[in-house]
Amino acid sequence: MSPDSQQDFALAFLSILFEGAPFILLGTLISGFIDVYLPAGTMDRFLPKNRFRAVMMAGLLGSVFPVCECAVVPVIRRLVKKGLPVSCALTYMLAAPIVNPITALSTWKAFQGQGPALMTSSRMLLGFLIAVAVGFIILKLPITAVLKAKLVDSIEKDNADKADTLALEAHNHTTCDQGHDHKHDHTHEHAGCCGHDHDHHHHEHVHVHQHAPDPGQKLVSAFRCAMKDFVEVGVYFSIGVAITALFNTGIAPGAEWLDTLATNPTLAPAALMTLAFVLSLCSTSDAFIAATLDKFSWGAKLAFLTFGPMMDVKLVFLYQTVLNKRFIFWLAVGLFLSIGSISIFWQQLIFQSK
Amino acid sequence: MNPRTRRIIFSLAVLIWSAVLLYFYSSGRINKYLVPDFRLIAFAGGLGLAVLGLFNLLTAGRQADCGHDHGTDEAHDHESSDMHPVTAFLLMVVPMALSVVWTKDEYSVAALSRKGLYDTPSGITSPFLSSSMPALTLQEIEKSHRKTPDGFLEFNLMELFFTTGDRELQPLIEGLKVETEGRWMDEKVRNPNGTRKRLYRLFVTCCAADSRVIPIILEFGAQPPEFPENGWMKVSGVMRFPLEEGELQPVLMVERAVAAEPPFEESFMRK
Repeated sequence: MSPDSQQDFALAFLSILFEGAPFILLGTLISGFIDVYLPAGTMDRFLPKNRFRAVMMAGLLGSVFPVCECAVVPVIRRLVKKGLPVSCALTYMLAAPIVNPITALSTWKAFQGQGPALMTSSRMLLGFLIAVAVGFIILKLPITAVLKAKLVDSIEKDNADKADTLALEAHNHTTCDQGHDHKHDHTHEHAGCCGHDHDHHHHEHVHVHQHAPDPGQKLVSAFRCAMKDFVEVGVYFSIGVAITALFNTGIAPGAEWLDTLATNPTLAPAALMTLAFVLSLCSTSDAFIAATLDKFSWGAKLAFLTFGPMMDVKLVFLYQTVLNKRFIFWLAVGLFLSIGSISIFWQQLIFQSK
Repeated sequence: MNPRTRRIIFSLAVLIWSAVLLYFYSSGRINKYLVPDFRLIAFAGGLGLAVLGLFNLLTAGRQADCGHDHGTDEAHDHESSDMHPVTAFLLMVVPMALSVVWTKDEYSVAALSRKGLYDTPSGITSPFLSSSMPALTLQEIEKSHRKTPDGFLEFNLMELFFTTGDRELQPLIEGLKVETEGRWMDEKVRNPNGTRKRLYRLFVTCCAADSRVIPIILEFGAQPPEFPENGWMKVSGVMRFPLEEGELQPVLMVERAVAAEPPFEESFMRK
């Protein structure tokens, strides 16, 4: 790299990084504290019984429990195992990184001078609609078509265990509430409960291990979680900003070619969605990158901001801890086509009328 | 790698980011990178990162329990990561460190060219950029622009640039005696007689990466005087908007050009 190129890269890199870092910090602090302080069953209580309404509500849960796309995958894995419907879990997974106040704030700030209200509201709305549509489709699919086989087995085993446990506990007395129990074979008496042997040593209990740790320990745990999230997001952000800075200043080979796509109404959204897939940016900071792609159309930026938080390289790996590979492939194709087409249509609708 | 070492490495990465943010803010260099409202956010972010990094560094060896179940077959412990901590540290710190060493707080001519140094006003494609211009009328021009003792109206470069092609404003400004300031640059296009230079400033929406160059042409009618490239200049003359190669150009017929001090905000910032 020539000294001039180094100078240009450095200015673009630092400016985007200075702009985005505080928003990543805010997002990771909130998601870290949610991860540690939020009890596992809290989300279930927000969802209505009707499954269609539940999916729609799941699309809005990110506004109450804001997490970015990296943090959401382990969360939904835990929630699915604890009985949250898969349709709701995946709707939340796709919507939460976009339909949340931190992403709204960062998009608003990043697009100052470029129609922030329009971009922020369009991004939220499109993210919500796409996530809910995916949720509705999942309602019609068998669980084995969506989740990875190992997770399905684990859920079925847990369900069988729970049913077994309930049947045994209900046989002649009220349920003993010990507050916690352990995964083990046991033949014992619950002193202080019913006082006799249940003779249930042929099965295992799977249960929530609840105990109250020292509040100081929880705080340390929350800060550690936030720091881990910040570093993980920071790494991808750093790589993404570096690539963006190279294209932004024309240093990267292919920057001129990318510019020629920028004005093509169909190829521009496709190019930016591909870029979003490769860059794997966090939804709390991707708007700062999109806002600097000044040669690209508004619709292409909207596609970048909606597709990226739902599907990118790192998410493909994270999704494999929950979803089966065939489903991930079709999800990627479906998101690419639907978000691309809607963004093109949206752009036409808004800017032709102006 | 044991958890304590991993936490120390992560804390150091966070503290390095914090130090860079706080240094650029306290030295004032951040003014070249961000618009005013983002500068304070960057400062707050730097302080927040310092708290996060220091807290985790000081408690790196402490036992902590989040108090909830992680399941029987789940490794999720709020801290586990797919990436090796040293790799993560290097990816976070090396690009930033190189950038801090390389930066001169401004773009080279090549990057300025890419950002519109030689573009015509009609080449500006952003529908939001021109809308950031205040509405101008003849009365407002006379009211809102100071007159120099020798009769030149003080205009900023952005006004002159966006007047080009404006059906209402261009006839008002055409032939007007104006004075403006900007940075001095060679004219590399449409300069057959070598009598021209270019004057530019940056327009920044949020950060330097999204900046655009706002340029006008300086016509001297003879060999232009020598000034350092990128130096700040105050230039006075008569404003014209000739049609050249099918496009309207903002051209200042220069009567006087002198070196000047940089303004407090060197770039135009989004308000």
